[in-house]
Amino acid sequence: MIRLAEGSGGKEMQDLIKGFRKILRHTGEWENISNDSATYNLGDYHLVFTTDSFIVDPLFFPGGDIGKIAVCGTINDLAVMGAQPLGLSLSFVLEEGFSKDSLNKIIESMNAISMETGIPIVTGDTKVAEKGKIDKIVINTAGIGLCKVILNKKLEAGDKIIVSGSIGDHTIALLSKRFDFETNVVSDSKSVSFEMNAVNEFIKMAKDPTRGGLAATLNELSEDNKMQFYVYEENIPLKREVKAVEELLGLDFYQFACEGRFICICSSENSGHVLETLRKFNPDANIIGEVRAGSGVVIKTRLGERILHNPTGNIIPRIC
Amino acid sequence: MQDVINKINELANGLGDISLMEVCGGHTNVILKYGIRKILPSNIKLLSGPGCPVCVTSQKEIDSIIEMALNGIKIVSYGDMVRVPGTKMSLEGARGKGADVKIIDSASQALNYKDHVFFGIGFETTAPMTAYLLKKGLNVFSAHRLLKPAMKVLLEGEIRIDGFIMPGHVSVITGADEWKELNVPQVISGFTPELVMVSICKLLELIKNKQNIVVNNYDEAVLPQGNIAAKNMIKEQLKPVDAEWRGFGMIKSSALEPVNDQQNARIIYVDIIKNVKTDIDTACRCGDVVKGLCSPHECPLFGDECSPQMPRGACMVSDEGACRITYVYER
Repeated sequence: MIRLAEGSGGKEMQDLIKGFRKILRHTGEWENISNDSATYNLGDYHLVFTTDSFIVDPLFFPGGDIGKIAVCGTINDLAVMGAQPLGLSLSFVLEEGFSKDSLNKIIESMNAISMETGIPIVTGDTKVAEKGKIDKIVINTAGIGLCKVILNKKLEAGDKIIVSGSIGDHTIALLSKRFDFETNVVSDSKSVSFEMNAVNEFIKMAKDPTRGGLAATLNELSEDNKMQFYVYEENIPLKREVKAVEELLGLDFYQFACEGRFICICSSENSGHVLETLRKFNPDANIIGEVRAGSGVVIKTRLGERILHNPTGNIIPRIC
Repeated sequence: MQDVINKINELANGLGDISLMEVCGGHTNVILKYGIRKILPSNIKLLSGPGCPVCVTSQKEIDSIIEMALNGIKIVSYGDMVRVPGTKMSLEGARGKGADVKIIDSASQALNYKDHVFFGIGFETTAPMTAYLLKKGLNVFSAHRLLKPAMKVLLEGEIRIDGFIMPGHVSVITGADEWKELNVPQVISGFTPELVMVSICKLLELIKNKQNIVVNNYDEAVLPQGNIAAKNMIKEQLKPVDAEWRGFGMIKSSALEPVNDQQNARIIYVDIIKNVKTDIDTACRCGDVVKGLCSPHECPLFGDECSPQMPRGACMVSDEGACRITYVYER
């Protein structure tokens, strides 16, 4: 029986996917098959291919909607691999009775991102499910891109860890709708392709902290690269409102999802230039830590050090 | 911060072995997250008490609500409750078998499910919201608990407790004056690591000066008289009753049930509930954990057989549960 936690981006989901891979063993010439995007060597270029499905509650929230996330999410998965996205596909599963106005709003917002980034949406599919068989709308997007060099270079002790902007805005914007509180925080949902293009050649690797947030992303980076990720908590850019809601509801910002941020790793020498460049896009970008020999993710807090584990379960507010 | 640490060290120097207890899962979380136990001098011990409402709910209550769900009664509750293991399965398991179990983040969302039974849980903090739902006509299965009766049991019990770090959120509702009659050093604390450290420092001062009083170190949120409107709402809709607590057994006047029997799911569905068979998992030490008698690491199931992915005991389920918090930060 599938449990909700198996879709939350944490340990349960990784275990579930490992199970899929035991059955789906044929991967042909494709590489990076356990990544968010798989790659195929074409000689001068690598083809990068990714897909993602979106269910969001609520569909519309401060700073975005499910359509914006669906387009940006796939663009961002390509961009953090170092690829120039060529085009996207778009599929809808709609619930019978879903409002056409809402659907048009969602499609308009997808078009806005497509125009802004210059990335076309070129093919797709639409199905309508009987009322009650699905919840309003499910969107799938897939995308292909090309890159000369896959951003998957070897990390070394002393490399710097940089985030491209404040963490958790998206989660707080969603929660404000679910909990009915007012906030100035809007979702960070956006395409990161321009920022990635600007720093591409100066960084070794990048990843977008979506589901599972920093906790899942940093642990994945640490495990994949067999290095320790050492993070200074005080350097993590967090809006005051985000911190306040986190404390009020008893949540953990390390698990907050972002939809328009990335974490990148670069050499110490390049870190000044990368930071300066990223701050032109977002003044909150910051160096949050460094890569060290060893394993795991270690957080230096105000009082001492602690291990940051992969998140488990869903984000649930406290009841006490 | 270093000043506070120095002051704590200085105070601890003049004292023997001291045991302090926190009775709020939020505090347990901060203490482990920031490694506060490791910073404290070795003679100052922090114990985790019954600070997690999910953890102290009795097995019988969990089994009853699951039985109701399996019998076609629609249930709505908070996310944590759905994962607490009952004798045979959890509410999540019942949902997998076709039961209608809705998860909500905040009580007001239950108003969208008026034909469901609201499984209400929590200490005084969440009781006003349940009272509000009763007022709006929902039927409620209440597992709400009151903190003070359990603290009295602890003070008469087998372990020595020299002082309490008192819960910030519960006190917002009850008010600081609620705790006076406990006659033991107490400091009401907020939830940043700095506030918790200052609260520990103040507690040591009280202990040193032998002052059995309540200090309000969270006065930006906690008033002496508490939230009168919320307290009135509780009084209007809920009444104190005796209840079984996990680990503690029966405690007099320690729980809340709807004043109106016609909204009390325990009465409405008595025919379903009365035959529920409950089997306690004897290997699980949650009962000792909530009383501070045993640390999560001392439970033989901890880590391998009981983890947040597959909890065997209630304390491994919620972010306020000592076992889960220990698993996240100190496994």
